[in-house]
Amino acid sequence: MSTTRPLIDVVKRGGKRTSERFNPDKLHASVYAACLSVRSPEGMARTAADSVCTVVIDWCHAKPEVTSNDLRRVAAGHLERIHPEAAYLYKHHRLVL
Amino acid sequence: MNTFDSLTIIALSALIHASFQLSVSMLTLLSSHTIGAKRSHARLLGLTNAFSAGVFAMTILILSAIALFVQIATSELDMTVLWIVTCGLLFGLGAAVWIFYYRREQGTALWLPRGMARYLSDRTKATKQTGEAFGLGISSVIAELLFIFAPILVASIVLIGLSPALQLFGIALYCFISLLPLLIVNGLIGSGHKISRIQQWREQNKSFLQFIAGGGLVVLGFYLYVDQVLTPTVMAAARSV
Repeated sequence: MSTTRPLIDVVKRGGKRTSERFNPDKLHASVYAACLSVRSPEGMARTAADSVCTVVIDWCHAKPEVTSNDLRRVAAGHLERIHPEAAYLYKHHRLVL
Repeated sequence: MNTFDSLTIIALSALIHASFQLSVSMLTLLSSHTIGAKRSHARLLGLTNAFSAGVFAMTILILSAIALFVQIATSELDMTVLWIVTCGLLFGLGAAVWIFYYRREQGTALWLPRGMARYLSDRTKATKQTGEAFGLGISSVIAELLFIFAPILVASIVLIGLSPALQLFGIALYCFISLLPLLIVNGLIGSGHKISRIQQWREQNKSFLQFIAGGGLVVLGFYLYVDQVLTPTVMAAARSV
């Protein structure tokens, strides 16, 4: 993935864990894995992950700090439009157990 | 209780056990992460089969251990008292299942404390070897012991009244029926079905599964109370008159 790395802090869930720098590669990997989990071809999964990362980077471009929940919500919203099944797993993977 | 009644109660107990979902949730999560990590289909099958084997092994061990314990304990304990305690447990757990087995939020989040759910989820994600998957299957049964204890206890009490050959058959019957949902999901994943479809089906039908599990416990408790507690008491009173 070739993206410029914006200097944005990500506040983790519930604010309990320490904040970390926004890493588009981490977002890309999670969306890519969600697409592969629903048995999408690798090319399609990569394209979807690239698209989601671009949208999320645009969304948080001017913000100094975002929450991990916001990142997840924006990413899931875009993924829902381009790959609904992967978006379902992406949104619900914490709610399986 | 005749043999047919005994085997029917064992089958019903196993069906109630089968409606509890922790093992299926963990298998879904394990498969999702294995496919998402681009591991081979053979590796996926190895992990899911090892997980199912772990659940099978732990179910058979717990059922046999409780049956043995009950057999030893009943030599000093009145069976009627044991049935009253068991029926109370069934009624209580039935109500508990109706009230809080699933959390009131999206997805299929269960009653588990969130720390424990996170730990199991993290362990599931980290599982790469079949040995680990086997251990995970074992831990999924232990984690759900609070709810599966009642149906296992009923099956154990009924099992000790059967002949040794039928006891083995009863144990096999219980394990097969209680593992049925896991085997079906395992088969669906192995044959290439999408995890998202399986998970969506589970989410859409979770209220029904919750109602069936709780209702099954209450119905079984009511039947056993009438058959094993009320009827012998009334008959004994009638004879003494």
